Amino acid sequence: MKWLLFAWKNVLRNRRRALLALLIIAVGTAAGLIGGGFALFTYESLAEMTARDTGHVVVAHSAYFGDDEDLPMKNGLSGAGKLTEKFAEMPGVRAVVPRLHFSGLISNGDKSSIFVGTGVDPETEFRLRGPQMTFVSGEVLSSPAPSVPEVVIGNELARQMKAKPGSSLTLLATTTEGNLNAVDVTVKGIISVGVPDIDKRLVLTALPAAQKLLLTDKVSTLSLYLKDTSQTDATLALVKTAEPQLAAKTWLDLAVFYQSVKELYNRIFGILGAIMVVIILFAMINTLGMAVVERTREIGTLRAIGSQPGEIVRNFVLEGLVIGGGGAVLGMLMALAITVFLMFANLQMPPPPGRSTGYALLINYSTPLYLGAALTVLLVSGIAAWLVSVKAARKPITEALAHV
Amino acid sequence: MSATIPNSERVRLTGIRKRYNTGDTAVEALRGVSLNVAAGELVALTGPSGSGKSTLLNICGLIDHQDEGERFLAGTAINGMAEAQLTRLRREKVGFVFQNFNLVPVMNVHDNVEYPLLLLGVPAQERHERVRQALARVGIEQFARRLPDALSGGQRQRVAIARALIKVPYLVIADEPTANLDSVTAAQIVDLLRQLASEQGSAVVVATHDHRMADHCDRVVQLVDGEMR
Repeated sequence: MKWLLFAWKNVLRNRRRALLALLIIAVGTAAGLIGGGFALFTYESLAEMTARDTGHVVVAHSAYFGDDEDLPMKNGLSGAGKLTEKFAEMPGVRAVVPRLHFSGLISNGDKSSIFVGTGVDPETEFRLRGPQMTFVSGEVLSSPAPSVPEVVIGNELARQMKAKPGSSLTLLATTTEGNLNAVDVTVKGIISVGVPDIDKRLVLTALPAAQKLLLTDKVSTLSLYLKDTSQTDATLALVKTAEPQLAAKTWLDLAVFYQSVKELYNRIFGILGAIMVVIILFAMINTLGMAVVERTREIGTLRAIGSQPGEIVRNFVLEGLVIGGGGAVLGMLMALAITVFLMFANLQMPPPPGRSTGYALLINYSTPLYLGAALTVLLVSGIAAWLVSVKAARKPITEALAHV
Repeated sequence: MSATIPNSERVRLTGIRKRYNTGDTAVEALRGVSLNVAAGELVALTGPSGSGKSTLLNICGLIDHQDEGERFLAGTAINGMAEAQLTRLRREKVGFVFQNFNLVPVMNVHDNVEYPLLLLGVPAQERHERVRQALARVGIEQFARRLPDALSGGQRQRVAIARALIKVPYLVIADEPTANLDSVTAAQIVDLLRQLASEQGSAVVVATHDHRMADHCDRVVQLVDGEMR
């Protein structure tokens, strides 16, 4: 405690210089925490988006994920009803959602366009994926399905088809037998998922309508939505044990975009963090280096009266830790204040590449991140202090005492 | 070797030689100097600038090394000791008083005097009591909470003496302790050093140009061109 007090008094010797170093460390720490917090927010958002899109665990025919289908639904899943009941009883499973993926042509009588469709269970699909879909007009699909099948289509596709809720369109697709089949549908709603490329192809219809169009009773996949994302791997293991003949993947396996963004951000913010560390190192070396030079004679005096070189270095390391610790605490408070401010400021980020909608600028708070940043700053400060003082502490005492 | 040295003898230097190399030229600062100092003895080293006073003082105080010769501190042979051992010896047995006082400016008087005891690991209660007594003995206990900058030159030197003597050292090294003081204060400092050395049984070696100081010492050793006269 006495040595810490001594270090504190030494830090206060040149207040302006110490304050400058402390502010540099604080800004560096805050920048690192804000960058890291933004990256964490992005990862969390992307993870949630991906899990909402695909489900936490996706179960399919064993060949579904690997082989291309010669005919539609060749690798489809039979007996979806029983499987759904079985998976729904597994612990932590919130819902089991069947999906049938298909594609074809959509026409308004005058004009045709390619569509990418999904046959869904209206009751669960819109509830689970709700926040991802913005209804431009109209409503969700009716349940139970009416006699004339309904569709919800992307807003870009609606614009191409000059469709609005209530419009009649025709879906044309290849059946499981390789023939063409058509069905007239009514537009029930127009949505946007925020990605123009998807919005100009997107068609959602009730699962029975899609099965009728493709002449099948199979589904493409069963998506298991969990109460807690952290249970994903455990649920995957349960599924594989219960149905070893089927293929199952987690949302993370299917989230190519998530993985690539995470890798990119990890590198960007890793480099940013490394730059911050270097800046903090230089600031500390500059501040403590000047202190060491100014106090060379004092070092000689303390060595003469019996301080070991290691004890001299320890004193400077403590000074470094005082400045570094102060800067880290101030930086954490700054980052925390900005995090709280953004929660209420509702600032929007511009749409990312390939998307039509922006997103709220938010920064996640993470205790491990804050602790990690504080420890890194303390470590860097200690190393800087050691670097600048170790040589001076070993200088011959007579030379140190003669220093002017 | 130590058995042959009298108990009262604090320092023994025998045939000390020290050479400095300045470029191509070698300067011999000490040429076979021998010196014994007994407990409680106050010895003055005098001589013109460059005579080797400070070099001898530094070797005597274990902060410099001789090229040849032998040193003993309280019967312990110093030659061949590692730097860490020398530091431990200084910590336990040697006190220093510098011309410019060399107090730590951010520490108050109490903390400056306490510092050697901190290094020795003396418990807080005992440290506090010993500092109080030391300050009382040098007559500045009322300034215990003041920073060195708030003291006069004489007061600062009293603090330095208290810091040197608080650990009851075998040897006190004083380098021109009165050089920056007026004559009255200088006389007080000399008396103080003499009194404390005598009371504690410390050997005191003083390098000085000041005849007033030398006159008050038990013995005066004059150095000329690195040799004793």
